[in-house]
Amino acid sequence: MAIEWLAKLIPLFPLLACLITLVFGARYLREKSHYPVVFGCGLSALCSLILAFTVASNQTAEEPFQTVTVYQWLALDPVAEPLAEGAAPSSAAPALTPPVNFSISLRVDSLSAIMLSMLTFVATLVAIYASGYMHGDRSYWRFFTCVALFVFSMIMLVLSASFLQLYMFWEAVGLCSYMLIGFWYEKPEAAAAGKKAFLVNRIGDFGFATGVFLIWVTFGSLEFQQVLNPEVVAAVFRAKPEMITWICVCLFTGAVGKSAQFPLHVWLPDAMEGPTPVSALIHAATMVTAGVYLVARCTPLFILAPEARLLVSFVGGVTALLAALIALTQTDLKRVLAYSTVSQLGYMFLGLGTGLASGIAGGMFHLVTHAFFKALLFLGAGSVMHAMGGVIDMREFSGLRRLMPQTYRTFLIGSLALAGLVPLSGFWSKDTILSAVHEASHGPAAHAGAAHADSEHSAEAAAEPNVAPEPKLLGVSATSLYTLLFWMASFTSLLTAFYTFRAVFLTFWGEEKIPHAAGHHAHESPPVMCIPLWILAIGAIFLGGLLGHPTGIFDGFLARTIPMVGEGHHGTDWYVVILSTVCAVTGISVAYFMYGLPSKLPEQIATAAGPLYRASCNKFYLDEIYRVLFVLPILALASLSRLLDWSLIDGLVTGVGKLPGVAGRLPRPIQNGLVQFYALAMMLGLAVLLWVLVIKQG
Amino acid sequence: MALFLMVALPGVGALLVLAVSRFGLAQVRRVAITNVLITFALSLVVVASYDPSAVDRTSGRPQLTQMETHIAWLGSVDKDGHFSGPGPDIQFALGVDGISLWLIALSALLMIPAVLVSWEAVQDRAASFYALMLLLESGLIGVFAAQDIILFYIFFEFTLIPLFFMVGIWGGHERRYAARRFFIYTLAGSVLTFLGLLAIVLSYSWMAPGQAVTFSIPTLTEGISQQVQTNPDAARYWAAVSPWIFLALFAGFAIKVPLFPFHTWLPLAHVEAPTAGSVLLAGVLLKIGSYGFLRFALPLVPAACWGHFHIVSVLAVIGIVYGALLALAQDDIKKLVAYSSVSHMGFCLLGLFALNGPGITGGLLQMVNHGLSTGALFAMVGMLYERYHTRDIEAYGGLARKFPILAFCLGIVAFSSIGLPGLNGFPGEVLSIMGMFASNKLYATIALTGIILGAWYTLWLVQRTFFGRLREPAVEGHGHDHPVVTDLNSREIAALAPILILIFWIGLYPEFFTSRMQPSIDKIVSKLARVRPAAVAVEQTSTVPVTGLNVGRNSPAVVANE
Repeated sequence: MAIEWLAKLIPLFPLLACLITLVFGARYLREKSHYPVVFGCGLSALCSLILAFTVASNQTAEEPFQTVTVYQWLALDPVAEPLAEGAAPSSAAPALTPPVNFSISLRVDSLSAIMLSMLTFVATLVAIYASGYMHGDRSYWRFFTCVALFVFSMIMLVLSASFLQLYMFWEAVGLCSYMLIGFWYEKPEAAAAGKKAFLVNRIGDFGFATGVFLIWVTFGSLEFQQVLNPEVVAAVFRAKPEMITWICVCLFTGAVGKSAQFPLHVWLPDAMEGPTPVSALIHAATMVTAGVYLVARCTPLFILAPEARLLVSFVGGVTALLAALIALTQTDLKRVLAYSTVSQLGYMFLGLGTGLASGIAGGMFHLVTHAFFKALLFLGAGSVMHAMGGVIDMREFSGLRRLMPQTYRTFLIGSLALAGLVPLSGFWSKDTILSAVHEASHGPAAHAGAAHADSEHSAEAAAEPNVAPEPKLLGVSATSLYTLLFWMASFTSLLTAFYTFRAVFLTFWGEEKIPHAAGHHAHESPPVMCIPLWILAIGAIFLGGLLGHPTGIFDGFLARTIPMVGEGHHGTDWYVVILSTVCAVTGISVAYFMYGLPSKLPEQIATAAGPLYRASCNKFYLDEIYRVLFVLPILALASLSRLLDWSLIDGLVTGVGKLPGVAGRLPRPIQNGLVQFYALAMMLGLAVLLWVLVIKQG
Repeated sequence: MALFLMVALPGVGALLVLAVSRFGLAQVRRVAITNVLITFALSLVVVASYDPSAVDRTSGRPQLTQMETHIAWLGSVDKDGHFSGPGPDIQFALGVDGISLWLIALSALLMIPAVLVSWEAVQDRAASFYALMLLLESGLIGVFAAQDIILFYIFFEFTLIPLFFMVGIWGGHERRYAARRFFIYTLAGSVLTFLGLLAIVLSYSWMAPGQAVTFSIPTLTEGISQQVQTNPDAARYWAAVSPWIFLALFAGFAIKVPLFPFHTWLPLAHVEAPTAGSVLLAGVLLKIGSYGFLRFALPLVPAACWGHFHIVSVLAVIGIVYGALLALAQDDIKKLVAYSSVSHMGFCLLGLFALNGPGITGGLLQMVNHGLSTGALFAMVGMLYERYHTRDIEAYGGLARKFPILAFCLGIVAFSSIGLPGLNGFPGEVLSIMGMFASNKLYATIALTGIILGAWYTLWLVQRTFFGRLREPAVEGHGHDHPVVTDLNSREIAALAPILILIFWIGLYPEFFTSRMQPSIDKIVSKLARVRPAAVAVEQTSTVPVTGLNVGRNSPAVVANE
C-alpha cells in the first residue's frame, strides 16, 4: 500500500512543478520559478529514499516487484465473437495479431528504486545549483519548466512497467534534452546541436522500436512481467533462439543512441551547447544512463544472447577507448567531460556485456557512482564558466585554484574519483567492471559460471546455453575478445586519469589568467552553487566504499531484481586492483609532468604524434565522415526525388492527361466536311458490310 | 437528428451568408462562425450520444450504425430504413458508426480554424467564400455519414466543387491551373470508383434475386458477405469479380489519399489554395480516400484486399519514404507540409492494409491525427504568410523570440506530427506500424525509417525558421505606415486551441477514441480474418511460439508462483 502511494507521488511532484511553472512562470513566478521545481524534486527525492527502504524491507524474493497501474492507455479487445451475420458462426477467426493492451503503470523493484534515488537526488541538487547559475536569464521560467518535465519523464522511464511505456518516456526525455540543448536557440550552434541530438537519438530509437515490435510479435505482450519472466524467456529461447539475439541487438541499438555509444556518440559533445546544469543532469548523470538501465533491465533476455552480449561489450570497450583518445586533446573543458562521459558509459556497457554477476553489478554500480562524480565535475565546470563570463576554453584561463577554492577542491575530488583512485567511489565501481572483464577473458569456465547461475533461476529450461559453443563476434572468440577488451579498458583507465588531470592542471594550476569576458569581478560562485558541489563531493568520496565491494549492500539490493547478481561469489581480484591503481597513478603523474609543471612537452608530443594528434583533435573526423557518408547522400537523394517527381512522375500524369486530346486528333482528318468523302465512306462501308455477310453465308 | 442537422445546417448557413452579404463583411463572418460553432456543438452531441455497445432492440444484435435518417427517393421507406418498393432502393440515408464518428467530428472541428484563419485574409467576395466553405462542410460531413452508395457518391463528388472554386478564385498566382488539375485528376479517378460501386450493387442483386436492387451500404456489406459464405455460386462469382472491383475502387481512392505515384496534384493544389482551403483539403478531404478504402474495399472485397496486400503496402511504404525525402528537399514551407502529407497518409494506408485490428485502428486514428496536425500546420503557415507574404523558408529565421506563442504552438504541432509520445501522432503511428509488423516485418521496418526522416525535415524546418538569429522578410508597406508585425492575436489562438487540446487528449488517452471505433473495426477485421490466405496464417502462428502467455498477466503473484 505504501509502495503504491509512493510510486504515484514520486512522478507527481515534478509533474505538478512543471505545470505550475509552465502556467505561472512567465507572468507571476519569474525569478522565483525555481521554487516549485526545487521543492518538487526534493519531495520526490525524499519519497524515493523512503521507497528504497520500503523495498529493501518489504519486498521478498518470492515477490520481487510490484506493479501499480495508473490508467489504461490503449487497449484493443480481441474480437470477442466472429460476428457471423445471421448465418451460423463459421470457424472462429483466429486473432491476426497478438493482443494490444497497454497501460501506464509503475513497476517498483530494487533496480528502479536505485535509479530513482540517484535520479531525484542529483536532480534536486542540480535544481538548487541552477537557481544560482541561471539567475538573470530572460527565460528563467522556461528552463525550470523543461527541467521539471525532464525529471518527470525520467522518473516515469525508470518506473515503466512495459516496453511501450519505456519507449514513450525514452522519447519524452529525448524531447526535454532537445529543448534544453537548444535552450539558447538564438545561438545557431545550440539550435543545430538540439536537432542533431534528437535525430541521432531517433536513429537509435529506430532500432529500439523494431526491438519492441519484435518482442510484441514474439512474446505476445510488452509487459516486463511477461517478457522478462525467466520461464517465458526460456520457452521462447527453446523455440527461436536467434529471435532473442535479434531482440537484444535491436534494443541495444536504442541504448547506443541514448547512451551516446560509438557510432552514435556524436551528439553528446555537441549537446554541451546547453546550459551547464543540463549537461550535468541530463547529459552526464541521468538521461544518458537510460541505455545502461535498459540493458540491465533486460538482463533475462541478454543472458540468453551471448552474441548480443559480446556486441555490447565490444561496443562499450571501443567507445571507452575512442572517447578517451578524443578527450586527450580537447581544449573545451565541458567537451573533455562530455567525452569522458561517453567513455565511462562505455565502461558500463563493457561490464554489462560480460553477463557475469560482477559485470552487471559493476555496470549498474558504476552508473550510480558516475552520476555523482560526473555531475560534480560538470557543475564544477559550470562554476568556472560562471566566473569566467561564459568562457569554457581552457586556453583562455588558468591558475584558478586561489580564486575559486571551493570549486577547485570539489573538482579535484571529482577528478580523483573519475581517475579511479582508492578509496574514492569511482575506484570501486570501475574495479568491479575490470575484474568482470578479466574474469570473462579466462574463457568458458567463467561462462559456465554465468550459465550456472542462470540455470538455477530458469529451471531446467536454460540448460541449453551451457552446452552452446563459445560465442563469437566477427570470427573472434569470446575469450580472446575479452582479453583484448581487458587491455583496452586498462589502457583507457590510464588515459582517463591523464585527461582528467590535464583538465585540472590546465584550469586550476599555473599562473592566474582570466579572460576578458570575465571582467574584473571574477569570483567564487555563491553558496547556492557551492553547497550542491560539496554534497556531491561527499557522495563521490564515500558512496563507493559504503555501498560497494566492502559492504556488498549494492549487490545485495540489486540481486532482488537480477537474482544472478547475488550468485557470483567473487573475492577481490588483486591483479586488477594493482593494475588499475598503477594505471591511475601513472596517468596522473604524466599529466602532472606535462601540465602541472611548466613544460614544453605537450607541444613536442603534439608535433611528434602529428596525424594522430590531429585526428584526436578533430574527433577522428567522425562528424565529417558521417556527413559525407549519410547526410549528403540523403540530401542529394532528396533533391533527386524532387527533380524526378516533377519531371518523371508528374510528366507521366500530364502525359496521360494529354491522351484524350491525342486520341481525338487522330480521327480528326476524317471529319473534313466534304460531302463526297462522306458518300465514298458510306459506299465503302456498305461494300465491306455486304462482303462480310456474303463470306459468312458462304 | 443531430447528424441530419449537421449535414443540413451548413447548407442552410451558406444561403444565410449569401443573404446577409449586403450588410457587410462583419455580418457575413458572424453568420459563418455561428453556423460553424453550432455544427461543432452538434458534433459533440453526436460523439456524446454514440454508444459503441448499443444493441438493436428487435434483433438483439449489436447496433453499430446509429442516429440514422432514412428518406426514400423512390418507393417508400419506414423509420428504420426498411424499404418497401417499388423500384430500386435508393435513399437519402445517413448514419454514424465507429469508423465515421471521428471523421465527422474532425470535419466539424477543422471548420473553426478554417473560418478563423480566413477572417482577415479573405476580403474579396467574402460572402461567396464563406458560402462555399459551408457547402464544403455539408459535403464533407455528408460523405462520411452517407449510408447509401448513390448518396455517398453525390457527396463524394460534391466536395470537389466548392474547393475547385475556392482554389480557383481565392488562390495564388497559378490558381486556375492548380484548380483545374486538381479537379480533373480526382474526378477521373472517381468515375472508375463509381463503376466499382455500381458493380457491387449489381453483383448483389444477382446474388440475391427477388429483392429490390439496393444501394444501401450496410445491407450490401452484410448481404454480400453472408451470400459469399452460404452460397457457393455467389462465392465463386464474387471471387472472380472482386479483384476488378477492388481496382476500380482503388483508382479513385488512391488518387484522393493520395497514394504514391498518384500524389502530384496535391502539392500544387496546396500551394495555390487559400489557407482555409489547405486546412480543409489536407485535414479532411484526403481522408475521404482512406475512408473509402475502409468503408468499401476492406469489408466488401476482403479477399481482394489480401490479394493486393503487397502492392498497396509497397506503395504506402514508398509514399512514406519518398514523401519524406521530397519534404526534405523543399524550400517553400507550404510545399514541405504538403509533401509531408504524402508521407503521413502513407502511414494511414500502411495501417489499413496491415489488414488486422491494430493496423486498421492505427490507420483510422492516424487519419484524425493527420487532419489535426497538418490542418494546424497549414493554419500556422497561413498566419505567417498573412504577416510577411512569403513562404520561402530561407527568408525566415529566429522567429521564436518575436512570436513566442506561435513558436509554442508550432513546437507542439511539429512534435505531434513526428509522433512524439504523449501527443496524438504517437498512438496512430505506433498502431499502424505494429499492425504492419504483424503482417509483414520488412514493410514495417522500412516504414519505420520514415520516423527518422520525418523528424529530420520537421525539426530542420523549425530550426531554420524559428531558431537562430532573427531574420524577417521585408514587410510590404511604405514609410511610416510600416505595419507592426505582432505575435498571434486571440482570434488566431482560438483557431488553434481546439486542435491543441485534441492533440494532447488523443496522445494521453487514446483509449477514449479507439474504444468508440473498436466494435465497428472488429467487424471488418473478422471479415478480413475469415478470408486470410493460408500463407499469412502460417506465419502468424509461428511467430507466437508460446501459448498461454497471457495467463496471470495482471497478478505478479501468479507469475512468481509458477
